[in-house]
Amino acid sequence: MVFIAADLWIYSSLMGSFTAFVEEKNHDEVTLFVQTAPEEKGEYAQWLKGIEGIIPGSAAVYLDYRDHEFVPTVGMTAATDALWREAGGSAAFRQALESSYYLETTKLRDRYQVRYDLAGGARTKVDIYFVPVIADNGYEALGTVMVLVPSTGILGFARLLRIFAIGAAIVFVAILWAVMLTRDPVTSFMVLGLMTIVLVFVAYPLIEALRLSFMKDGRFSLETWKLGLSPTYIVALWGSLKLGVATATASTIIGFMIAFLVERTAFKRKRLVSVLATMPVISPPFSLSLSIILLFGNNGLITTQLLKMKAFSIYGLGGLTVVQTISMFPIAFLTISGVLKQIDSTVEDASLDLSATRWQTFRSITLPLATPGILSAWMLVFTNSLADFANPQLLAGSLRVLSTEAYMIVTGRTNDLGGGAMLSFLLLLPTLTAFMVQRFWVARKSFVTVTGKPSTTLADLTSKRVRTFLAVVTYLVIGFIMLLYLTIVVGAFVKNWGIDYSFTLANWKAVSDSWNAIKSTVLLALIAAPTAGLLSMIAAMLIVRKNFPGKRILEVLMMTPYAIPGTLVGISYIIAFNKPPLMLVGTAAIIVINYVIRELPVGLENGITALHQIDPSIEEAAHDLGADVPTVFRTIVLPLVRPAFISSMSYTFVRAMTAVSAIIFLISAKWYHLTVKILSYSENIRFGLASVLCTVLIIIVLGVFGLMQLLVKDEKLTRKSIALR
Amino acid sequence: MEKKSVSVTLNNVTKIFKDPKGKADVLAVDDANFVVEPGELVTLLGPSGCGKTTTLRMIGGFELPTSGKVYIGGDDVTMLPPNRRDTATMFQSYGLFPHMSVFDNVAYGLRLRKIEPEAIRKQVDEYLELVGLAGYGERAPGRLSGGQQQRVALARSLIVTPSVLLLDEPLSNLDALLREQMRVEIKRIQRSLGITAVYVTHDRVEAMSLSDRVIVMKDGKIRQIGSPDEIYEKPDSRFVAGFVGKAAFFPVAIGERNEGVWECMLGDRPVHARSAAPDIVRNSRGVLMARPESLRLVDKGEGHLDGRVRMNVYLGHSLESYIQTAFGEVLVQVDDPNARTIRKEGEEVSIEFPPDRVRLLGEREE
Repeated sequence: MVFIAADLWIYSSLMGSFTAFVEEKNHDEVTLFVQTAPEEKGEYAQWLKGIEGIIPGSAAVYLDYRDHEFVPTVGMTAATDALWREAGGSAAFRQALESSYYLETTKLRDRYQVRYDLAGGARTKVDIYFVPVIADNGYEALGTVMVLVPSTGILGFARLLRIFAIGAAIVFVAILWAVMLTRDPVTSFMVLGLMTIVLVFVAYPLIEALRLSFMKDGRFSLETWKLGLSPTYIVALWGSLKLGVATATASTIIGFMIAFLVERTAFKRKRLVSVLATMPVISPPFSLSLSIILLFGNNGLITTQLLKMKAFSIYGLGGLTVVQTISMFPIAFLTISGVLKQIDSTVEDASLDLSATRWQTFRSITLPLATPGILSAWMLVFTNSLADFANPQLLAGSLRVLSTEAYMIVTGRTNDLGGGAMLSFLLLLPTLTAFMVQRFWVARKSFVTVTGKPSTTLADLTSKRVRTFLAVVTYLVIGFIMLLYLTIVVGAFVKNWGIDYSFTLANWKAVSDSWNAIKSTVLLALIAAPTAGLLSMIAAMLIVRKNFPGKRILEVLMMTPYAIPGTLVGISYIIAFNKPPLMLVGTAAIIVINYVIRELPVGLENGITALHQIDPSIEEAAHDLGADVPTVFRTIVLPLVRPAFISSMSYTFVRAMTAVSAIIFLISAKWYHLTVKILSYSENIRFGLASVLCTVLIIIVLGVFGLMQLLVKDEKLTRKSIALR
Repeated sequence: MEKKSVSVTLNNVTKIFKDPKGKADVLAVDDANFVVEPGELVTLLGPSGCGKTTTLRMIGGFELPTSGKVYIGGDDVTMLPPNRRDTATMFQSYGLFPHMSVFDNVAYGLRLRKIEPEAIRKQVDEYLELVGLAGYGERAPGRLSGGQQQRVALARSLIVTPSVLLLDEPLSNLDALLREQMRVEIKRIQRSLGITAVYVTHDRVEAMSLSDRVIVMKDGKIRQIGSPDEIYEKPDSRFVAGFVGKAAFFPVAIGERNEGVWECMLGDRPVHARSAAPDIVRNSRGVLMARPESLRLVDKGEGHLDGRVRMNVYLGHSLESYIQTAFGEVLVQVDDPNARTIRKEGEEVSIEFPPDRVRLLGEREE
């Protein structure tokens, strides 16, 4: 049933969009044509014949306006004459002619049957346009041109489409029967459904984007790629890599120090530090950029007002590295602390027992054991840094990086989608390499043995001095983070940052100005969160518990978005979904789909891990007692994987609320996103307004996040999955 | 609780587990054929990896046979999923729903059948009573002992009045004493309900004590089907003989057959034995199987095989004598040990093979 409805819907929307497309084109062409009207009426006959060269098979008649009436004067044939006599007095014609008098181009709603030489003498259906010929003074109609355009093209297309729609319905029914006859129809349907989703929304856009990057003017060409490998963009690639290496290295060092302090020493405030240090993970990616600009920017509070520095500029590699490090070191922290936690303290004890010094023990035991985790952390931060769009957009200055270049080439004057796709693919190379290395090499080299019983005692490898040093670094980092957040909040109440620091509530009009954006951002995130949560749990169940052909492909396709920079996703979506058969750009659907597809991998991983820990005989018992597959899922699986389910919901929500890189390509006037609003306020130096929206966003995210956490105790899992994007 | 008992039939059932890479497909069950009669308790016995659990799972509908048919009560159920078969399975790990109370666990199957809450309450109480857990309804399964969890699982399976009860090593997670209790309990309930049951185990004592008939499997193949005493006393292969109990094997030369008794040569002395093995050929080599309790110790030179007592292990109701012979060490069980029957360690003795108590088997080493 659903499919039949979908089939009909696709049919009618395709039909609609195609008709609209053709009519708009015809409309434009006849309007343009009439604008070329010659001065002399004597040349009209010749001129009117020209319409045939523009729209094949069409004909035009000129009606002169005289004595308050339009009278056919030039280009009449027997057929048009007959038509005029038959319908000329009808209400529709009258209305159209009146519009012509008011200088408006009109198309008659109905199609008319005309027996004339348009298409070989047969009776033909035509669309009729009335296009006024405007006098030189610009407000008077000299007359109007009646253009008859045969609708054979549209009708032919309609017939073709109808055949396709019927064909699709037949194929569907056949599949339905085949599936019904198998043992487990529900599973087959779910597999088919998921397969369709990933093929349409993961594979198809990527292929389209790749294809477009090899096209120029509708033909195969390497030009785009040649451009990409030209010095202009190699500089940008180089910039991305430099930034990635700098950020990854700095983040890993800070992350390791804090993780070591929290996991391997007798430090007291572990919990507090863990929570505060992971704060940047759930705030919008560029909020820290914003406050860095407020503090250290060209008119920054610290640099300009307090220190009176003139030559200092935060824009560029240095400032960007600082901001990215602050926002991404939590990734390193969580990854490394996960590994450090699992190192069995007895091996360190053994080393100390063999009279190694603490430093020797750290160097020869702890560090080698933690190395895979450290490498993982580095790779993950590297990938994130490269994919980051928002921070470079605000802070890059003269540094050029690929993600923003791709955005600019797409939104710039040339509107070069192929170029954007190419640059994102260029970005994908290092990202994917790092991802693969992390996933298949580093992760496998892990020495850490999970004994299942966390060691109760810690071999404290740190002297008091070292611990104090680590604690100072940690508090400095956390203090800096707090300062940055405080700045945003203060910025929301300051009249004109950098000039006038007096208190005001005026900025809060941003909330009412952006009310629609806030509403749609929250609404779409709220739709996406349960959708992604549910889909990922279903997919996890299928992948862990069921056997079906194509399982591996499904899994790989579902995981793919994990490794792809948001910019590439965004660009490939506008390439693939801004044309038939799936015109989705501009709708809310494409934004929700984008959220769901991008956040599925993490939910899937959580779900798979959770399911692996559940004895399959629990589900089998339910199945055996008479529950069918959906009932088993609802009454057994979902309650049992609840922590994973809720954590992937909160995860999706947070990510959807703070998304920028892909979403910036997909928003429309109707469905705007708060982050894009903040970004544009920031770019236009409206820092007060940006701060207000940023504060609002953080409050919403923290609120909903906290609410969801109340439902599940496993907060760490969520934070971790958010960070490990 | 009354329900007509049904039979379970497997016709040429084969199961191959496909390796995803297509390299090492596993033949889990190879052409299994058997019938479980209505009301009968049949055990699938075999070492781990022999395909017994896979066979059970095909009856339950959790696995689809690669070829062959499964019938329950005469109906072909080969393609039916578990929820549409009239079977109930007790899993090795019980598969209790950890997020539901004991009551909800037991009520689960009834709730799916849209039965009145009042009737459900009554029935659940009744079945909890049956398995001896009255009053435990509000507990979480995790707070019960292994034996109690076991009973919950049993009640949960039985309450939907299945025609066939499938038990997959249900006692393997219990300690020895509890296992014995539950064994009796299961048999009592199965008998009183007259339900057809298939029981999977690798424990021969369990199989012997519970079953009406035992099906011994190895490497996916059914090796022998028979009542417990048939399997024990008259195994038709060396594997079955060794798997279901202690046994000693001696290589013999097979001679002629006289009235169902084979004449063989053990070394230079003649012995007589019956056989059910299919691969016995006259004037070839075979193996003589003897259980420790069927052998008798006699004075040197009087029996079939001479030896010396290496060690005696006193067990109270019996005594185990380890005899060093030309064919290695042989265990002989001496029942009712007393001064008259006990042979001292180091004494020269002879072992006698009573013709009705030893079996002749094919030579094939398994």
